[in-house]
This record gives sequence, C-alpha cells and structure tokens, in this order.
Amino acid sequence: MPEIKEKIRVLSVLVEDAPNTLTKVSGAIRRRGFHVRGISVGPSSQPGRFRITLQVDHGHAEADQVRKQLERLVEVVEVEDLTGDHVHSRELIVAKVAASELDALLKRGAKVLSTAADGTTVEFSGEREEVGDFVDELTRHGIVDVARSGPVVMRRTQ
Amino acid sequence: MILEALEREGVEYIFGYPGGANLPIYQHLREHPRLKHILVRHEQGAAHMADGYARACGRPGVVFATSGPGALNLVTGLCTAYMDSVPMVAITGQVNSTQVGRDAFQESDVIGATSSVTKHSYLVTSIDQLPRVIHEAFHIATTGRPGPVLVDICKDVQMAEADRVTPERLEIPGYKLNGHVDLDHARRAAKALAGAERPVILAGHGVLLSHAEPQLQELAETAAAPVGTTLLGIGAFPVKHPLSLHMTGFMGTGWCLKAVQNADVLMMVGMRVDDRVTAKLSEFAPNVKTFIHVDIDGSEMGKNVRPHIELVADAKQALAAMQPHVGALNQNRGRWLAQIDAWREEHPLRYKHSNGQLQPQDVLIDMYRRARSEAIVVADVGQNQIWAALWWNYDRPGLFINSGGAGTMGYALPAAIGAKFGRPDVPVWCVAGEGGFVMTAQELSVAVEHQLDVKVVLLNNFSLGMVRQFQDDFYGGVRSQVDLKHMPDFVKLSEAYGLPARRVERFEDIGPAFDAAERTKGPFLIDFRIDPEANVYPIVPLGKSLNEFWESPENA
Ligand SMILES: Cc1ncc(C[n+]2csc(CCOP(=O)(O)OP(=O)(O)O)c2C)c(N)n1
Repeated sequence: MPEIKEKIRVLSVLVEDAPNTLTKVSGAIRRRGFHVRGISVGPSSQPGRFRITLQVDHGHAEADQVRKQLERLVEVVEVEDLTGDHVHSRELIVAKVAASELDALLKRGAKVLSTAADGTTVEFSGEREEVGDFVDELTRHGIVDVARSGPVVMRRTQ
Repeated sequence: MILEALEREGVEYIFGYPGGANLPIYQHLREHPRLKHILVRHEQGAAHMADGYARACGRPGVVFATSGPGALNLVTGLCTAYMDSVPMVAITGQVNSTQVGRDAFQESDVIGATSSVTKHSYLVTSIDQLPRVIHEAFHIATTGRPGPVLVDICKDVQMAEADRVTPERLEIPGYKLNGHVDLDHARRAAKALAGAERPVILAGHGVLLSHAEPQLQELAETAAAPVGTTLLGIGAFPVKHPLSLHMTGFMGTGWCLKAVQNADVLMMVGMRVDDRVTAKLSEFAPNVKTFIHVDIDGSEMGKNVRPHIELVADAKQALAAMQPHVGALNQNRGRWLAQIDAWREEHPLRYKHSNGQLQPQDVLIDMYRRARSEAIVVADVGQNQIWAALWWNYDRPGLFINSGGAGTMGYALPAAIGAKFGRPDVPVWCVAGEGGFVMTAQELSVAVEHQLDVKVVLLNNFSLGMVRQFQDDFYGGVRSQVDLKHMPDFVKLSEAYGLPARRVERFEDIGPAFDAAERTKGPFLIDFRIDPEANVYPIVPLGKSLNEFWESPENA
C-alpha cells in the first residue's frame, strides 16, 4: 500500500535528557494531528542526550511539518529525516515458542536466548518487512508470547 | 534569589497573586523596591496584564502565581500570548520537590497543563538550576518568534540559600534562531514582486514584532504593491496610505479581499496564514502563481499554504534584503492599482445609521476624531473587536492591541491596564462588549487602586453580539443562549468599584461623554447602549471562499 507508506516519516531525533522531553515530543506530535507508528528511545553517543527514532504518520499535514514542529522544541537538538531507502532500519523481536516449532524460525535467522519447559525464547532482528514476515511465521507456529521493539534507523554510508 | 534574577533581567513590573506555594518569594518582595508588584484580582488578569504590557512597550511581561489553581488560572492568558507570539515569563510556585507526584495540597502538573500554550517551560527542582533557567527563560521569551515561557519553581527551591551566582553564558543547543536571510531567495522574491502584474503584500504581527514597518513601506512603494494587514498586523502599514488595502481575512475589507483573490503574486510577511485569513483554503488566492512567505518560524512555511519562495528570517532583515533587487516593474502595474481603486469605490465600509439607534461605528468615529494616532486601543473579542479594527485609521504600529489568535473574551480590560503600565505617557482606551467585559471586570479594582488613565468604552448590545450574528447569518436564524438582558447596571457597577461612569443612549450624547472621560483623571467607563441588531460587515460566510463576502445592506 504505497499510499500509506508515503504518509509515514522516519525521523531520528536527538534530544536533551530532561524530565519533560518525552512528554513534549509526544505532545507536539499529538497536537499537530500526527500519529506515532513506531518509537524507540535510547542513549546517544553524546552524554546527556538521547536519540528517539520515530515513525510518524503526518495525517493531513505536509510531510515536512513533523520535522519542523519537532525542531521548534527547545529540548530537541537535531532532527534528521531518514525516510526512504538509503538507511539501515532494524526492529527487534523477542518471542517464546513451543520447542517443537523452532526449526523454521532458526532457518530465518532467529537466535535462541533460553529454553524452558514452557517454550523456547528466540530473538530476531531485521527490517520492518522481515520482522513482519517473521511474525507471520510465528503465528503459523503458535506464539506463546511476543515483544517487538520500535525501529532504530541510521543513514547508510556510501 | 529569584527576585535578584528578575532585577538582573531589568524587570520593572510583576503582575501577580500570592498563595501557599510562592510565599517564600513574596516574603522578600519588599527588599526589592525596583520590582513593582501589581496585585491582580484573578490570575487570568495577571497574564493578560503582562501581555498588554508587553505588546504596548515591547518588554517581556512578568507574572507570578501560586501552584495548582493559581497556575491553572493562567492557562487562558498563556494561550492568548502564545497564539499571538507575545513575550512573557510566568513564574509559578510548585509544591516541595520531595512532594511532587504525591498529589500534595494544591499540586498540579503545571508543565503538563501548559506545554501546549507555552514556547518553553521549566520545572526547577534544585537551586543550582535557578540562575541559568531564569536567564534562559527571558532569552527564549524575547528572541526569535517571541512567546510565553513558564518557570515552575518548587517551594523548597524558593527557600534554599545559595551563594550569589551570576548565570553562565547562555548555551541552549536546541534553540535555534533564524537570523540570516537567504539572499538568493530575497532576490527572487523581489523580482517576483516587481515582475508581477497583480501583486499583493499581506503583513502580519511579525512585521510589528520585528519593527519592520519602514522597510515594508519602502518596499511596497518601490514595488508599487498594495498592502493589506491581518487583524494582528494592524498598524504595520498606514490605513490611509494610497497603497493600503486595510484589513484582510474573513472580516476584511471588500477591496482587500478582491485584491487577494485576483493577485498573481502574493507575499505574506510575518503571519501564520490561518483559516481566518484564508477562509476556504482550497479557494484562497486562486490566481496566485507565486506565493512568497516571509516568517522567522520555519514551521510556518507550508503549514497552511505552500510558498514558492520561502524566506525564513526576521521580517525587517528579509524586507531590507529584498529592497535593492526590486528593479523594473511590470508595465501593467498602473492598471492593477486603478482596478484596486475601483474596488475601493465599489466596496467601501458602510454601516446603517438611519434607524435612530446608537451605532457602534458612530462611537468609534468620534473616538478616533479625538485620539487620532495618539492613543492605544485595546479591544476585546467579538463584534466590538472587528469594529474597532475597521473603523479607526491606525497609521502607526502599536496602537491596536487585541487577542487575534486565541480570541479570548475578557482580554481587553486587563490588557489595557497592562498597556497603561507599559506606556503611561499614552492614552489607553479599552473597547469591549458587555459579555467579554464581565469575564474579567474584577480588574477594575486594579485600575482604581493605581488611578490608571484607562477609559473603558463598552459597546453594550445586550447580547453575545458576534455569536448572535453568526446564528442569524449562518445557523438558520436560531438565536440560542445569546441574550444578555440580565447584566449589572454598569454605571452602578463602576461606582461600586470606585470609578466614575456614564451611560449613553443617544448619538448627541457621545461627544459629551467622551469629553467627560477625557477631563477625568484616572479610569472612566462609558456604557454605550448600541443598536442590538448592529452587525459586522463585510463577512465571509463560514466555509466559503473570500470571494463570497457579504456586505452591509447599505452597500446594496
Ligand atoms: C472565553 C471565550 N468564550 C467564548 C467565546 C466565543 N465568542 C466569540 S465572540 C462572542 C460574543 C462576545 O459578546 P460580547 O462580549 O458582548 O461582544 P460583542 O460581540 O457583542 O461585541 C463569544 C461568546 C470566546 N471568544 N471567548
């Protein structure tokens, strides 16, 4: 569905580690009628600063409004628009499955984290689509439990 | 420590109200005689006073309020200032830092409640942060696109002892100021304007905030481009100038709307291009080939109208950068200006004055005859606001103050009081409907206490006039909850507050009432009983394009 895909912007947002940063970022997104499709937050390479990776549906607004509205926040140091193909984009999934169903998952590249009586826990990471396919595979085999992260994205160097 | 920091920022007036969570600040107020504290009667009044003060004199308005209900009473005033880019610093008390999050007495999440109506906000939980935060707050409030900044200070921080500290050098990595003008864009914009067959310039509040009026006038004259202003841009260009289109927007003048809808190049300076300016967006300025947008806030570019040429910069610098590149004008320019003159003749501002009732325009025309360009008019919201905008020939910046973006009823009286504190040398008139006036009428006490020369002009039509007109015109004529028959006797109310007042019901009494107001030192109120059916024209019906404006029946 290319139409939907076009409305999604992927942004990497470098922010100050302040008590209200996340509230303000999410508030700005909500207020402008945007919708978060995926988010991940973690420390950046700079001390005192965090990196938020956002997948945002910009709704009826112009695509560049998401970046511009975020840039207005004093807590936001830098916004990079990483929408498009020239990026590494990874999502992580951790799932528990019945031990008998492992083979197909391992073939896809899943890694075993632990094994217990009620199932085996595996992890898998990849592009959004790959993780989606992996989830389909899991559903076919019966999932016991699953947790999936938002994306982390970095521009590819040529 | 807070008070010292305010002194360092050059603060003169504080509009505030004490309470449990800011008492440590009030305890020491007397030791700082340079800070004049004005005790308001409601915190909303404090915010609007600070706002009126800032708009009148250009310095940031400062507000104090206590935690919980005190701080929350500021929200409307913060929103009003935020929408209109007014510099303000609000300092609110918060419960002790150790009590935050425990639902302590009068605790509320003030940062959470105000973050959508402030440019920035801080919660201060330790004394070391304080000097830096106060300094940053003033810097952020007053630079770039100005706006209100809130500093929420925990009570224990207010009481903490600290060595005298001067703030470090400012370093706010996430705060970027758009200063420099893209010269290439400026050149292209100037060429587009000069080469246009039918150019129009629209000027907003940003022109006033950047003091770019001389640059605007010079550019408009060089490029022979007519200029309209937004409601908040009034004063950016003299109304009586031959190139003036007066006010634009859905209650703008007919000749301005015609010009906008027929323009081929439209330059918008220091404005947000909101729905009150565009009316139906898809049919806004449909003949424009080149939109030029100048604004200091990059997020305004394409927010509502996608410009072909963007200038993200201070209006003064941007216009000055365009000036030398205007060059030869399109040879059809004379025809365009003649066309606009014809529209001006065809669609003049008119009003009904034949039914024996007092018309609001009569009142304003008399007022203007007296005040000319020497008085500040602070209008409330509703019909009174639009009448005061249209029936007064503002020819200088800073003479008209109103809540444009938020449209906050109850704004005018406290803002007029604030304006008078900011500009004690200038007469200040407050124009309000009776509906909005009673929303903050308690602040009359402040005007009386300080014997401020604020003259209140009530345009009393016994109804929520603007809503009544909308119901009549656009909601099938069903008048619903707009009657204000039960209102106080405003003359007696004034007397109760301690200021002289008059009631005027007839045209002949307008002049004598204004004479009395002008003779009186201190505040004065005139209750003008105007025609309850008087309407605002022109007006564009909701959801329609600017082409479809309705005019006064007198224009028929
Ligand atoms: C706080 C607030 N509440 C409601 C409104 C909606 N509103 C806009 S104009 C208006 C009528 C104002 O009536 P009045 O103050 O008597 O002024 P008039 O239009 O009669 O001049 C109302 C209710 C508003 N702008 N602000």
